[in-house]
Amino acid sequence: MLDTSYVGRSLPTTEPVTITTESVSRFAQALGLRDDAALPPTYLISLTLPAADPLIEDPGFGLDFTKVLHRDQRFAYHRELRAGDRVSCTVTVESIKTVAGNDLLALRTDVTDEQGLAAEVWTTLFVAGGEA
Amino acid sequence: MSAFAGLAAGDAVFTASFPVARADLAAYAEASGDRNPIHLDEAAAEAAGLPDVIAHGMYTMGLVSRAVLEWAAEAGLDASLSEFSSRFAKPVVVPAAGGAVVDIEAKVRKVDADALELAITVVSGGEKVLAPARATLTAN
Repeated sequence: MLDTSYVGRSLPTTEPVTITTESVSRFAQALGLRDDAALPPTYLISLTLPAADPLIEDPGFGLDFTKVLHRDQRFAYHRELRAGDRVSCTVTVESIKTVAGNDLLALRTDVTDEQGLAAEVWTTLFVAGGEA
Repeated sequence: MSAFAGLAAGDAVFTASFPVARADLAAYAEASGDRNPIHLDEAAAEAAGLPDVIAHGMYTMGLVSRAVLEWAAEAGLDASLSEFSSRFAKPVVVPAAGGAVVDIEAKVRKVDADALELAITVVSGGEKVLAPARATLTAN
């Protein structure tokens, strides 16, 4: 079971990283997208999931990643991001719902650049309960 | 004139079909950094209670983004993706031999002068794997 006292908590904002042309190109090619330095629509997951690592690895939180399935994903894009942009991620635990002994963990990540909020990324993880 | 002139709620706007092979999942794992072995290794998938290796939900969602962007480019829409979401209802099972196929079908859910919302169904192996995906394009 997850520690529900984490709801509402945000992780420290990550240090700004530059989105490299190589990483955008590799991501675009893996999906067969046009490789033109525009961020593929789902690219930000490659930044937002690692940004949640401190939460996933926090023994106090109680998340067993071997029992996790990806349940929902949503992106809101406030402006176009491209290779070369510098962004930071702030992960917030939005909610934890328990349904039939399983947890639904909803995370929101604010992706910010020099001008402010550039995108929001919501990820809901299904965490199987019990000892199975 | 609106970027979305001529489109009405309920219109079927595109279908797309993509093959998915194990090698595609390996390439996506490297590109995305998501190296969960259930997407790469049969033994790991079976240990997790799955019938076989499954595609990353985000790989399938990525294919949907490709279908949306390719359609928007072909239709000459002067618009940008502003919202994109999906629920991963069922896994896309990818056997070593033959792989899988993902069939995508998009309909207009809502449209006005400024925004077009698509409802997108995605089927693989006879199952609806995304239930459904939604994409909103906003006029530039």
